[in-house]
Amino acid sequence: MAARLPDMTTLLAPGAQPLPSLLSARRLKNQKLARTLRFWVPAGLLIALFFMCFIWPHIYSIPPGNTGSILAAQEPPFSPGHWLGTDPDGVDIFSMLVYGGQVAFEVGFSVTAIGMVIGGLIGLAAGYFGGWADSILSRLIDVLIAFPALVLVLAVAEVLQPSEIHLIWALSVFSVPAFSRVTRGSTLVVREQPYIVAARLSGTSSWRIILKHVLPNVIPGIVTFSLLGIGVVVILEGAVDFLGLGIQQPEPSWGAMIAKGQTVLTAQPEYVLIPSIVLLIFVMSLNLFGDALRERWGVR
Amino acid sequence: MRTACLAGAVAIVLTAAACSSGGGSSSSTSTSAGATSSSSASPVSTGAAKAGGSITVLEGKGFSGDWPLGLDPATNTTGSADQDYYNAVFGQLFELGTNGKQIPDLATGYKYSNGNKTVTIDLRPNVKFSDGSALTASVVAWNWTRDLESSCTCAPSWTIARANAKVTTSAPAAGVIKVLGPLTIEVNLTAPNGAFINTMYDTIPNWIISEQSFKSMGETAFAKLPVGAGPFIMTSDSFSNEITMKKNPTYWDQPLPYLDGITFKSVSGDEAAYEAMLAGEGQVYIDMSTPQLLTEAAQKFNVITQLGTSPYDLQLNTAVPPFNNPRAREAIYAMTDFGPILQHIFKNAYPTAEGFTGPGGICYQQNVPGYQGYNPTLAKQLVAASGLDKSVIQFGTISSSPVAAETVQALSQEWAVFGVKTSQHSYNLNALIAAFLASGGKSWQAMIQTAGAYDPAGGVGVGFRFGSLSPFSGVHDPKLDSMLAAAAASSSLSARCPIYNQAAEYIAKNYYGPFYFSFAPANVAVKGVAGPGLTSALPAVAVAPAVLWEDVYNNPATS
Amino acid sequence: MALAQQVQLQRDPGARADLVRRVTGSPALRLVGRRLLTAIPVLLGVTLLTFVVMNLIPGNPARLILGINATPGQIAQVDHQLGLDHPFWDRYWIWLDGLLHGDLGIAYSNRQSVNSDLAQFLPTTCWLLLYALVVSLGLGIGVAMLAARKPNGLADRLSLAVSMLGLSVAPYVLALVLIWVFAVKIQWFPAISNSLGSNPLTAIRALTLPAASIGFPLFAIYSRLLRADIVEQMQREDYIVTAKAKGLKPWRVLVVHATRNSMFTLITLVALNLGTLIGAVAIIEPIFSLPGIGAELISAININDLPLVEGIVVVFALVTVAGNLIADLMYAVLDPRIRYGRSAS
Repeated sequence: MAARLPDMTTLLAPGAQPLPSLLSARRLKNQKLARTLRFWVPAGLLIALFFMCFIWPHIYSIPPGNTGSILAAQEPPFSPGHWLGTDPDGVDIFSMLVYGGQVAFEVGFSVTAIGMVIGGLIGLAAGYFGGWADSILSRLIDVLIAFPALVLVLAVAEVLQPSEIHLIWALSVFSVPAFSRVTRGSTLVVREQPYIVAARLSGTSSWRIILKHVLPNVIPGIVTFSLLGIGVVVILEGAVDFLGLGIQQPEPSWGAMIAKGQTVLTAQPEYVLIPSIVLLIFVMSLNLFGDALRERWGVR
Repeated sequence: MRTACLAGAVAIVLTAAACSSGGGSSSSTSTSAGATSSSSASPVSTGAAKAGGSITVLEGKGFSGDWPLGLDPATNTTGSADQDYYNAVFGQLFELGTNGKQIPDLATGYKYSNGNKTVTIDLRPNVKFSDGSALTASVVAWNWTRDLESSCTCAPSWTIARANAKVTTSAPAAGVIKVLGPLTIEVNLTAPNGAFINTMYDTIPNWIISEQSFKSMGETAFAKLPVGAGPFIMTSDSFSNEITMKKNPTYWDQPLPYLDGITFKSVSGDEAAYEAMLAGEGQVYIDMSTPQLLTEAAQKFNVITQLGTSPYDLQLNTAVPPFNNPRAREAIYAMTDFGPILQHIFKNAYPTAEGFTGPGGICYQQNVPGYQGYNPTLAKQLVAASGLDKSVIQFGTISSSPVAAETVQALSQEWAVFGVKTSQHSYNLNALIAAFLASGGKSWQAMIQTAGAYDPAGGVGVGFRFGSLSPFSGVHDPKLDSMLAAAAASSSLSARCPIYNQAAEYIAKNYYGPFYFSFAPANVAVKGVAGPGLTSALPAVAVAPAVLWEDVYNNPATS
Repeated sequence: MALAQQVQLQRDPGARADLVRRVTGSPALRLVGRRLLTAIPVLLGVTLLTFVVMNLIPGNPARLILGINATPGQIAQVDHQLGLDHPFWDRYWIWLDGLLHGDLGIAYSNRQSVNSDLAQFLPTTCWLLLYALVVSLGLGIGVAMLAARKPNGLADRLSLAVSMLGLSVAPYVLALVLIWVFAVKIQWFPAISNSLGSNPLTAIRALTLPAASIGFPLFAIYSRLLRADIVEQMQREDYIVTAKAKGLKPWRVLVVHATRNSMFTLITLVALNLGTLIGAVAIIEPIFSLPGIGAELISAININDLPLVEGIVVVFALVTVAGNLIADLMYAVLDPRIRYGRSAS
């Protein structure tokens, strides 16, 4: 009977493929096409979103995302100068998407990067060295994981003035333990591989082993986990903005757009739908890309 | 295999066991009163008054939808925000009706004497609380003594002699409250107050509780299911969540109330309330302020905008730069063009204001002579002369009001045209108080608030925002203080109103703070439900108007 | 134990001691004991962290209780009543002491004991989570079985697409969309639910949309994981191959063997998920005006009601730690390498 701690990465594993010899050449080609599409469509969407948020504003000037003229309040989509319309305060919706998207990218990637680096190091150390270092680190990590994420973030938002940087710190408190757990799990498995054991016995320095042998084996799993993680962070950041305790008005963010749109949902559902759809596309592209990457790298 | 199944079964059983406490209902001691009716909400005009039926009234969280400490007026710190429940259960001594007409309810009349230092009130005969005990002057005296001793900040602020002069919550001295007869009671003040009766509306002395029930139930039980002489009796209460009430069969004003029962539900906001009404889960929503939803709702429901009494006002802190400089303050007046804001954001739903009086209150004066209006040329000069564009203005408001937030944003946009930069802050109540009080009141610069009340002498009136003794005021001007005190002393409107007009002119002349518009909340009701506050406008005494529940009826008949 | 053995034990003290030694010597039980011991510092750490964080928030609870007109004298009086004038460690110790006796203190906002507040709000949240878990698990298992039966078949592709949607959508967005479609437009379910009503039917109606908002992402995770697990078992495990070779129908093989074996993985995952579920509840409940613990937490934070926030957070942490503990135990009990005492876990 399979006795295996469910690795969060496996839940996204695509189906196992039948043996190639049982397939016709045409089916093989279709499958290859499908695989290429599965990789490039989400990658393309991500690149397009990145382009829209970071490069487009430099090429073509767009109205500011945090202010507008009340004379232009609530313009419908396709109005001149406002191709997605304006919100009740006259702020251009497309601009809010763009600048909110910058925040989403920045928060998502920063938090995940911090988690990968710091959490990864902690996990590697704990998993490799074991012993009391492992015990202490694991207990600390357990404390952080047991703590309700939302409460900490809300509290941080109240203590420090809520802002993007403080939000990144607060969310990192949760990505670090998550990454360290995953890394530790992978490290534990890799550590017992015969050639690693041999290296240990031969007296190579621990950190050398870690960096040269353990790390390369652990990285694919971590990267695919991180792509899932970015999506989670973006949704969580949106939730905090939704509650009004993240990015402060009038600076734009997708979560705040949804919250503001919620107050007039029945009257003007587009204020909720537009940022929701963009958020969905962003997170889904990340997840699909993570899937495809795992498929390519053969990570289980 | 077996272990797995066993473990799974254990897990499920444990979870189910954890959840079985409480029996799946979060409300407490509910007897099944007040089933909600589903009125037809078809667009017909209101039929004649008809007895029978029940309605569900929705109240918004963050204000009237919260009563965490229960509903004993003397201990409930949320105070008059919960007036709807108080009015339904206790009735009032004096009620404020359509167009500001005073309606004697449990009291029948009053008289000022002794230079407006003594007020004598007559009570209505033959009124009984719903527990059978009688409403007499001694019960009212017991109520008022208890109110005055309360440490709640909702305690009445009567200027009276206390038994122990040093302790503000000590009992009133002997002779302050005098029972002159079974139905006559008298209050003796130490300073003349011509606004005494006016400031009773929506304050705790206006709500009389049953002394007999309080003593037999004890404070905690009473706060949960209070007993009064009003049109309805409370049958269940889940704090800050839901209340059910049924008709009081011994109400003094037979055959009222029309309704058989009311259920009050607390909802998270305007949108949630509107959805609930669309889905037929509520017939009335109190205090809707989101402009877009008001427009939507007006197409399907009756939307009544009440008569405002507290105009929105920009408080400027004259104690610190930059607004200790009158030219900077004048610049603010000249930079603001409120017309477009009113039109585009609020759809011209409210009248403009230049003073602290509103159409629902006494001494209403919409235009104040000498008020500096929008003047862009003058504004540019003043900004340059005062250096207002050199620093960032800290601009704050309360976060629970979407109206205030929109106003702050719009004003910032307008001032930005003149090079004036702002840093906007949206505070919850606690943080707002802290912001006002920080650094001895020298930290805040500009705040959007409401100023004014039904009677400017009371409540969050003009003294609260412009008097030198109030920690929430940006003005410290003894001349203004004495004007306001003089206006409060007299009891005749013909004497008081000219003084208030003078005060408004004085504020405008010194540019102490511009006023913008007389916001008033709107109540939304499905067609067929009618009554004062639902199909006719009432003055909004404490933010939301006090709907007179005994006159509300539900008649989903055809026209 | 057989009756004979029990009787023998009672007669023979030596035998009893031997049994005790055998029981405590069991690695599984030792593991359970160790795990429980390590859970304690985690809980302590959580309570300390909560206390620290909540005390850093600016604002004075006394002022909040008394309202806008409070005088400094009144504030000092209430400060003293609430014990706020004690130094930090004293206050923490007092609270912790109460906690160990099962008393979570008195909430500032309504002067009720936190225990009674929790008792009032916990059932609604419990029912909500139970509903969400049961439906998402049930649907997840069903869909996973359908999908795993024929990998890459139509059902499989469809389920992968739907679960990808579930993984990518934000719960609060889903809640709003569900309200708009099912409560406002079609009116099958209520938009607000101030109470669960008087019978199971009203409770189910009230809880369906919130449970769907929470449950859809869960369903996505469970169905995917289970499907992957089943597919892998169907192809790797020897006895499954044998059963197929013996001519047993694949459906029967699937249900009887593969699914059953994957259950514990699923349950482990459910246990691990409990912590994050509770966070989701805090966002979803206010949207539906559900009087549960999540809504209570948000409002308690907003009004700085320290004892209430701490009480709720402690309950959350307890559930999360319990969930992790169960997951660890299940993992350990079933993996022979771990059971016999290696440090890897």
